[in-house]
Amino acid sequence: MVTPPSHSNQLKPQTSAGQRINSVTPLRFEEAQPSGWREYLLVAGVIAALTGAGLLLPESYYVQVGLLYLLAINLLSLRVGRAPILTAGILAAFCWDFLFVPPYFNFAIYNLEDILLLITYFVVALVAGQLTARIRAQARNERLRQERATALFQFTRVLAEAKTLDEAANMAVRHMNDLLGVQTALVFTRENTLELEPPAPASFAIDGNELQSATTALSSRQSVGRFTEVQSNAVGYYLPLVREEQVFGVLGIKIPPGKILTNGQKELLEAFSQQLALMIERARLRAAGEREKLLAESEKLHRALLESVSHELRTPLAVIMATCDKFSNYNSDNYAGFVAEIRTAGMRLTHLVGNLLDQTRLDSGPLKPHLDWCDPRDLINAALRGAAGALVNHPLEIMVSDDMPLVRIDFALAEHMLVNLLLNAALHTPAGTPVSIIAGLDAASARVFFAVADRGPGFPALLREQLFKKFVRGEAAPSGGLGLGLSIVRGFTLAQGGEVVLGDNPGGGAKITLYLPHFVAKNSPPE
Amino acid sequence: MTTTVKARLLIVDDEVQILRLLRHSLEAEGYEVHEAKNGLSGIKKAAAIHPDGIILDLSLPDLDGLKVLERLREWSPVPVLILSVRDSMNDITSALDAGADDYLTKPFHERELLSRVRAILRRSQVVSQPAVARFGDVEVDPNARLVRRGGQEVHLTVKEYAMLLLLLQHRGRVVTHRYILRALWGPEAEEDTNYLRAYIIRLRQKLETNPSVPQYLLTEPGIGYRLTEE
Repeated sequence: MVTPPSHSNQLKPQTSAGQRINSVTPLRFEEAQPSGWREYLLVAGVIAALTGAGLLLPESYYVQVGLLYLLAINLLSLRVGRAPILTAGILAAFCWDFLFVPPYFNFAIYNLEDILLLITYFVVALVAGQLTARIRAQARNERLRQERATALFQFTRVLAEAKTLDEAANMAVRHMNDLLGVQTALVFTRENTLELEPPAPASFAIDGNELQSATTALSSRQSVGRFTEVQSNAVGYYLPLVREEQVFGVLGIKIPPGKILTNGQKELLEAFSQQLALMIERARLRAAGEREKLLAESEKLHRALLESVSHELRTPLAVIMATCDKFSNYNSDNYAGFVAEIRTAGMRLTHLVGNLLDQTRLDSGPLKPHLDWCDPRDLINAALRGAAGALVNHPLEIMVSDDMPLVRIDFALAEHMLVNLLLNAALHTPAGTPVSIIAGLDAASARVFFAVADRGPGFPALLREQLFKKFVRGEAAPSGGLGLGLSIVRGFTLAQGGEVVLGDNPGGGAKITLYLPHFVAKNSPPE
Repeated sequence: MTTTVKARLLIVDDEVQILRLLRHSLEAEGYEVHEAKNGLSGIKKAAAIHPDGIILDLSLPDLDGLKVLERLREWSPVPVLILSVRDSMNDITSALDAGADDYLTKPFHERELLSRVRAILRRSQVVSQPAVARFGDVEVDPNARLVRRGGQEVHLTVKEYAMLLLLLQHRGRVVTHRYILRALWGPEAEEDTNYLRAYIIRLRQKLETNPSVPQYLLTEPGIGYRLTEE
């Protein structure tokens, strides 16, 4: 609903601006009835005065009086329109014939010269009237065009001077009010919709029927309202602000009653509306660009931060792990156990750091997966290598169905997901119980799935929804881990357009299934 | 290692502990080890001592390791092994595309590091005649274009054989997807990684004892493939 603007928003013509633009008042709207009777009055007056003056001259000067009439008609044609000048010609001819050409007070003419002169009158009056009328029309058009160009130029300048969209809209409304002597209202659409935003600056309220007309203009992309064929009973004249198939809003014009809208003015308003649409488009593009830039900037910062944190955490770990390698080269039985302890702790820490960094990546904004084709067996092998240390006490079962296709996933993300699931399974189930990985194609939903199932205690029913949250750990969970694993699994799966399902393993235990979109490889490789 | 001429290695890394460890491991293998603690001095040292191989960290205090690599590649074909904590596929592939010979992420295993170093150093050796190569029970004779497994001839299609040969030529080193695709199908196929998956699966089925858990034709996730040395 577009409500009338508050008082602070009500725009009154500014005197200074009004005076500046007064030179273009011909653009103001004309009275509905053009006043032609003044011209007839002028014509009648001039002829009457000339006739009176002619009567004072001696009778023998009648030819000269005729020439004076001719001169007057020519001069008059500079001031009055085509019909008045023709009237003047006829009037002058009759007056001259009746009053000056012998026999007097009679329309009869006996002299051939006088007949010729009379005919000349009509022809000259006709031609002069025609010519001057045409010149005047041309001059008038020229002036109008120039005024329109000036008005448009001033309008674009006003828009260009504004720093914000709101300011530009305010100035545009004020400018049009002053220039055209009308009331103007601007309404914008919400971005990429056909809904109108709450009122932009306006000097009259668009509501009720008027709002309906404005909306019609918006959806039909045509001018609607008074002076048009659509909803012509509306008070205002509404123009959609269109640019390259996009509608940005509506320009409403309320013209004082009794005035008319000429084609020239319609054209000018259309030009204004195009400028307005251009301005809004530009403002919106600029805003979108700035948003984009800000996002990219913050992403860059996040990446740099993550990178340096990752570097600082992993480098000492790398030193610890490499030193362990060195120790084991010496093969000293006394210390082998200790070295193994250090190595296990180092691996745990490496994994933890990895998870923390992953979680930070997830929290720092939308994750863009890097999708590529991969062999699901490669993925499973990589995950098993990643979790190898933790799985030593669990017999493994790997079941990849024969119809398992190539999958299109982000390998690194998928590997982290599976490693987390495997480590969880190893951590939460007693030693010696089997852990299985199942992969296949779910034809019904056109998705591929990877599942990790165990024979442990299963998920506590109450905790199921909680488990995906950060730092939530099962009550019975042995110490170790931050409770980030499942949260990361879910985050990475969602980022790839997949779904995580917690379930029970038939026959006891827990089963977590990752469903991922199935893409069909287009062509088989050419030999 | 019993080389008569000691290979000269340059390590560019700013972490003192890593430098000490690497020096220890590499000198124990008989390499002559030089160090540089930042990118610029790394480039200078490379020009001064003409190393046979460079181990380069990506996170350096002055220049990014990638920039160092690009500058090196302007004038030197010296084999470069990247050793970095950066483990995203983007980082790895851009380093390989910029001319690195191989990549190892920290934390690393000493054994793996030494095998990578051996592999990149082998690149600079000129092979006059391709020798018969062996892995597991597979024997590849490039001269006769013959592949045997356990003495039995294995039939490989033209592309399968070409891919195997490509991996053999870069044995021990990673070969990127893009490199293989361009070599086998031309530049327009660079994005069609599904071709590769299909072919490597077929190669594994023909040459690996357990195709699901390959021992030799290894996948470098998101980056490429590697044929192991041993």
